[in-house]
Amino acid sequence: MTAWQRKRGRAAPWFLLPACALLAVFVVWPLLRAGWWSFTNADLLSPERAEFAGADNYAGLAGDARFQRAFGNTLLFALLVVPVQTVLAFFLALWVNRPEPAWRWLRGVFFVPVVVSMPVLAVLWTLLYQPEQGGETGLLNAALGVFGVPPQAWLRDPALALPAIAFMSVWQGAGLQMMVFLAGLQNVPKELLEAARIDGASGWQRVRHVIVPSMRNTIIFVVTVTTILAFRIFVQPYLMTRGGPGNSTLSLIQSVYETTFVSQDLGRACAAALVFLALVGGLTWLQRRLAREERE
Amino acid sequence: MKKTAAWILSGAAALVFLAPLLWMVLASLREESRIFQMSPGGWLGAEGWTLGNYADAWRRAALGRALVNTVAQVAAICGAGLFVNALAAYAFARFEFRGREWLFAGVVMLVILPVEVLAVPMFFTARDLGLTGGYAAAMGGLTVPFMAKAFNIYFLRQHFLSVPVALEEAAVMDGAGAWRQFWNVALPSIKPALATVVVLDLLAHWGDFLWPLMIATREETRTVQISLANLFTQPPVQWGDILACAVLATLPVIVFFRWFQRYIVATDTGTGIK
Repeated sequence: MTAWQRKRGRAAPWFLLPACALLAVFVVWPLLRAGWWSFTNADLLSPERAEFAGADNYAGLAGDARFQRAFGNTLLFALLVVPVQTVLAFFLALWVNRPEPAWRWLRGVFFVPVVVSMPVLAVLWTLLYQPEQGGETGLLNAALGVFGVPPQAWLRDPALALPAIAFMSVWQGAGLQMMVFLAGLQNVPKELLEAARIDGASGWQRVRHVIVPSMRNTIIFVVTVTTILAFRIFVQPYLMTRGGPGNSTLSLIQSVYETTFVSQDLGRACAAALVFLALVGGLTWLQRRLAREERE
Repeated sequence: MKKTAAWILSGAAALVFLAPLLWMVLASLREESRIFQMSPGGWLGAEGWTLGNYADAWRRAALGRALVNTVAQVAAICGAGLFVNALAAYAFARFEFRGREWLFAGVVMLVILPVEVLAVPMFFTARDLGLTGGYAAAMGGLTVPFMAKAFNIYFLRQHFLSVPVALEEAAVMDGAGAWRQFWNVALPSIKPALATVVVLDLLAHWGDFLWPLMIATREETRTVQISLANLFTQPPVQWGDILACAVLATLPVIVFFRWFQRYIVATDTGTGIK
């Protein structure tokens, strides 16, 4: 630390104030409030009249069938999306990791769905999944028909709706994770790859024994981020199926939103939101731990 | 032989990723009755093309207004946000003051907070501050809560730290104050990082849905995503109009993205997280 940096310390409050004030008002304060409300019987219309209710809301969540369904759906969605999207993104990254312009173009193609906003894609895929009706059908049924697959009512079948939304989400997000993997691939030691090639290792062996181990942290990071994003699912089921059919696509966030604005039970909604936060925090902590072990 | 297989595979993959969006654009130009006619002959003929969906959607969903709102919202978040976050990041990177490490650790802790967790209590905070009323108030409600971002402060601080300190020291020798040192010297030297932050926020907020759904309830404050959702859910449902609206909601963000792409740094987020 030099003298001028100490002298500049006097200006620090002015530099910090705008951002810190905004964070305090719009992030920290709402968080503290949600924490307090989650232990009260606060309702939507008059939260200021909240009375302390202990852990009632949390106990209530444990017996709340709708919340549990939403929790289960969200977990299932993550279980469908995370492995498929991570593996797909990894192989796409290996596939396009070449210098020629054609591969750069292909990289761009895989990234296009990332740039399009989620509400637009949710609406678009609803039309793509359109069931067959009087000689008309969505693009997906038409495309699968070419291969002899009978048309399905994708979003109206409780068994298919969540997987259909998961498929669309993988298609949307794979390009972004591919870019993260591409960045990680640049750090794989070239001489290790060269040595493996000289030793006659096959492409698959090089991936397994050289690339995957040296990209361990990137893989952990991608898995964590993809999991957190999967838990945050809301827009797709909300627009495509409204959580139906038969609550099969009801998401955690939608249940928090409905508990707030439909049941007007603010206390329980805040408790659910904090359970969700604990989940995300736990995942982040796990990622840091796993990544740290690598360095030590 | 092997090369041909690679090309075929690449082509197939590109088709899977592009086909839905190509279909969106083409179908938005089709007459209502022909959108879901999937017979090969019925789709690429000379008949049934129209621009009517665009005119309809523009009128029915008041898209002009919605697009202006969305551009204003994203510009305000990206612009003002960039400014306040860069200011704080710079102080954390270069100034020495009591409690610096402690305060910065507090900011970093906020990085993992998903907006969905905060949406409900934030709604009350916005309401208490009068950010939900008329047009100006709601535009404030759409933007002000998202200007300061913990991740951006963290990210920009990293980039300020990686800039050699010599330039700024020279400015100090020349008698530049803290402000000039930040504005004229440090800020221009991290342009790629600034562009990256702008692009990430642009993509995130252009697609905002949950928050505008809660806060921009009046017709004149609707963002383009809310207009789209309304066309999609409120009868009479016109597929052509919905598709046209989807295209119009997508074009600006593609244009902005292409424009900013040149300045982006590769964010190597997967490594070195302490």
